[in-house]
Amino acid sequence: MTTAIKSAAILTLLAGTGLAGLAAPAQAVTRGGTMTYGRYADSLFPDPVLNDANVDIWILSNIYDTLLLPTDDGKGVQPGLATAWTVAPDGKSVTLTLREGTMFSDGSPITAEDVKWSLDRARDPKNGIWNFIDESIGAVDIKDPKTIVLTLKHPDPAIIAGLSVFNNQIMPKTQFEAMPGATMVEKAKAFAEHPVGSGPFVLQSWSRGQEMKLVRNPHYWRQGADGKPLPYLDGVTFEVLPDDATRILKVQSGELDGAEFIPFSRVEELKGDPKLNMALFPSTKVTYGNFNVRPKLNSGADNPLSNAKVREALNDAADKDAIIAIVTHGVGTPMSSYMSSATPLHTGTGPVFPTDPDKAKALLKEAGFDKGFKFSCLVLAGNVDEIGIATALQQMWAAVGVTLDIEQVDNATRTDRFRKGDFSMRLGDWTDDIADPNEITSYFGYTPVIEAQHSGWKSDEFNSLYEASQQELDTTKRAGQYARMQEIYRNGPTVPLYESPYPVVLKTGVKGFLQIPLGNNIFSGTSLEK
Amino acid sequence: MTAAEDVLSRPRQHRPRRRMRPPPINWTFAAGAAILLAAILLAIAPGAFAPYEPTKFDYKAILKGPSAAHLFGSDNFGRDILSRTIWAFRVDLQIALFGTLFPVLFGTLVGAAVGYAGGWAQVVFGRVVDAVVTFPFLVLIIAIVAVLGPGLINLYIAVSTVGWVFYARIVAAEVAVQRRLDYAAAGRVMGYSTARILLRHILPNAITAAIVYWMTDMALCILLGSSLGYLGLGAQPPTAEWGVLIADGKNYMRTAWWISIFPGLAIVITGLGFSLLGDGLADMLRPRR
Amino acid sequence: MPDAGYVLRRLLQMVPTLTFILVVTFVLVRLLPGDPLSAIAGDRVTDAQVAQARAAYGLDQPVLVQFGLYVKRVITGDLGRSLIAQVPVWTLVGQRLPPTLLLTGMATGIAVALAVPLAFISALRRGRASDLVIRGAFQIGLSMPVFYIGLVLLTVFSAQLRWFPVGGYGDGWGDRVYHLFLPALTLGVSLAAVLMRNLRSAIIDVLGAEYVDFARAKGLAPRIVLTRHVLRNALISTVALLGPTVGTLLGGAVITEAVFAIPGVGRLMIDSIYGRDYPVIQGLSLTLALVVSLVFLLTDLLQAALDPRTAG
Repeated sequence: MTTAIKSAAILTLLAGTGLAGLAAPAQAVTRGGTMTYGRYADSLFPDPVLNDANVDIWILSNIYDTLLLPTDDGKGVQPGLATAWTVAPDGKSVTLTLREGTMFSDGSPITAEDVKWSLDRARDPKNGIWNFIDESIGAVDIKDPKTIVLTLKHPDPAIIAGLSVFNNQIMPKTQFEAMPGATMVEKAKAFAEHPVGSGPFVLQSWSRGQEMKLVRNPHYWRQGADGKPLPYLDGVTFEVLPDDATRILKVQSGELDGAEFIPFSRVEELKGDPKLNMALFPSTKVTYGNFNVRPKLNSGADNPLSNAKVREALNDAADKDAIIAIVTHGVGTPMSSYMSSATPLHTGTGPVFPTDPDKAKALLKEAGFDKGFKFSCLVLAGNVDEIGIATALQQMWAAVGVTLDIEQVDNATRTDRFRKGDFSMRLGDWTDDIADPNEITSYFGYTPVIEAQHSGWKSDEFNSLYEASQQELDTTKRAGQYARMQEIYRNGPTVPLYESPYPVVLKTGVKGFLQIPLGNNIFSGTSLEK
Repeated sequence: MTAAEDVLSRPRQHRPRRRMRPPPINWTFAAGAAILLAAILLAIAPGAFAPYEPTKFDYKAILKGPSAAHLFGSDNFGRDILSRTIWAFRVDLQIALFGTLFPVLFGTLVGAAVGYAGGWAQVVFGRVVDAVVTFPFLVLIIAIVAVLGPGLINLYIAVSTVGWVFYARIVAAEVAVQRRLDYAAAGRVMGYSTARILLRHILPNAITAAIVYWMTDMALCILLGSSLGYLGLGAQPPTAEWGVLIADGKNYMRTAWWISIFPGLAIVITGLGFSLLGDGLADMLRPRR
Repeated sequence: MPDAGYVLRRLLQMVPTLTFILVVTFVLVRLLPGDPLSAIAGDRVTDAQVAQARAAYGLDQPVLVQFGLYVKRVITGDLGRSLIAQVPVWTLVGQRLPPTLLLTGMATGIAVALAVPLAFISALRRGRASDLVIRGAFQIGLSMPVFYIGLVLLTVFSAQLRWFPVGGYGDGWGDRVYHLFLPALTLGVSLAAVLMRNLRSAIIDVLGAEYVDFARAKGLAPRIVLTRHVLRNALISTVALLGPTVGTLLGGAVITEAVFAIPGVGRLMIDSIYGRDYPVIQGLSLTLALVVSLVFLLTDLLQAALDPRTAG
């Protein structure tokens, strides 16, 4: 029920951004042409299993295919290299039917052996950081050349969604193993230079830090609206342009067809340009502050933020609407839970903590901090949004007597201090990789994963609810567990701030480009119209 | 022998600079001094001139253009740009001074000593210069900032570690030339001590280039602050510093030009003050004829 | 005049410099908070996974052992492999150094081409309108942050007038020079301003020197006095400044490279620092130091050619 309403909301959002045309089959689509797209940073290691970063994840699906694909709204799955899937009534196995006649970009057929090998590599706990998605898989078996059976260690409500995640992308076993290198990691590095996959495009050339050229995969299985194989484009060229202003200028001058990560401050201006389509794709992105809630800081000093009342006071004192106005220029919406409203099983309406400075002062007094206190916030150096948020929080908290120091550090320093628990507060954002609430929940609140984002926050009830929900096949019961977890997390270690869309600017002639809420850039249905 | 060498080999007399008679007013110097005095006044008492608190938000005045209420407009937090530009005088003059003070003193002394001694000192100095100047400045500054934390003091440390070399090189080159001139030789013949020849006679003649460079360097130092602001390593929010103010306005160049333009003007005018002062000083220090 | 022996000696002198750079960068990168893993891995990685990856990169060994292995490799000319890009550091240097060299070279050329004639006009017409206009214009150039100059040039000449492409590097040398013109101008403006100011001051000094009076008195044509004596002597102090400044330009082109999306070493360096890509930071620092040392040698040779007195 709730889900249905939310899908409707997403569709409305899509309509609002002029993307509704995507849902309807295009009448006459122009084929050919190469789309140039400006990215803020280059990919690092485009390997489905061993990558760590969004710069890889968000483009990988153009090169590799999964058995199941995420739907355009990022909330469900649709057939991919598998045409059908059945979960056994006891939830302990999944049977997948492979699509007939699919091929890798080099023309070799995709076999059940490739599928088994790829899934086995993806779920190996020694490989990378994403194998938690396949944690429930006990064995991958080839029943016949067209049927794969996954035997599960326990029922897993998220395994179907998991099969559409990038780490389960299918790679050609033989070609991979033929790579030079003594270890699998070395082979993966060599393979990533010239990957062979079954996605709509093939990596043709890559000069690091500069440009990545993808060309059409002639063997891609999906059909376009004109009854011929996708993609419509002959190729996609990614140009790496770290400076926001330059990226925008390149689209304005016509040298690029589109660019990602448009600063919110430019959205209104670009919307007014008749030659451009300033798109705001719905996302699962949440932006928040994250406290260290351990009783003592690394320095040995007492930590006022360990007091839930103090945290609530800071939340009450933070004017979310003002931050949204200042930082996102009105594009964002207040977070209503720790997860985005586009994440399945999200509950809550309106801001988690409505702005109330008086209540904040009262709570601080109750907690014994009516004279205020001082702490610092780690901010990513040079990041305009984070600096804006921190500067705004600094002012808002000063009004209730709390002093916030801003410490700009580079990403590695921040991650290092964060992982060591050597911080009082930091700012962060998150996007889901899977159409399920379990990923964000494990990182944000389930202690055994990373101690609730290294905050030191712990709730036994939350932990046991999470564990139960990971094996709960009854959707209603699971929704109930998630509703309770989201309630408990009100006392959590965060300052929920805002949700924001993915701002992408495109020339008006670019049709059918999509960035789904999970972040994936989808070029398979993109065309360049006159 | 070329004509030039012929000319150069001609004996030349050392003429001590006149000190007794008051020099005629040097207008370049006066203009530079006036600008910098005004800047120093703003830096000492910004509160007396700024109409608003530099860090005060005003949600009703977000990104408003110049008006009677906000002469220089307001930024995306509704902060008054005029007030922030004025308060930044304090921070930026500090950057200009503290970022260059150690380099100019230490660099000049080292340069003078090396230029005068020549020989092995020159060779060793050459290696030190190479090592310091060839060392990637960014690695150094990011390392210092990462280890000590971001902020202005660490900026001074990083700048000073490298900056002195430029003065030393300039002064050493000049001193090496000066010491071979006849007046220095005359001093040696007359039995003056090395220190006296160096400090009283050679250095004043050799130092002009260093002082001219110093004035430029102060302006460059403010600019470096802005580059580091672009990378987030300079002055930390909510401190108003011109470079950071300009960097803040980067995304608003078309829609709210005033955020960057006015702090930029402040840099231009202050920089002008420094160079006028430098040129004026150069004129006055230059041996008059 | 310097001979081959002098050049050889200077080349040998680079050995201690480079050794110093090698040791200091090796230590410095390890003082930086975090390590390559924290930079790549982000928030989501567990401690066990970090430990495993550290072992794979050899970062779990004692620092001295790592240093020994590194030195051994460097001596054989191997700078190691990038931890992030997974390719040999030499490959990265080979890709990224040419754009920066071209950019810096063009910027220096533009700076000298602007500074020398204008410094002469300014010095010879001291106090007149043309002097004031020239100095005022350079003052503005000197006072504008590089990223601001870059964005203004891009907006006007690329986005509005479409005379130049909006950043990028281009294919083929002609195209590259075309692509790099605006960035070189951006980078060259502040260098031109510094050079102009020094040169102007030096020319005024030289004009006041007796030997120039003497040359004039001897009846030498003013043009010859200017080129033979004034320009030559004034250039000495400029060249002295050019060496170290070009050195900082090389490493300092970061912001210009970011604004104009030029795949040069400046951007590689900052990405590597942020990524804690130890082998790349170290290898790049060494390579840059070598290039800067060679530029120094060149400027010193130039200086010696201009002024026989400082040779040696």
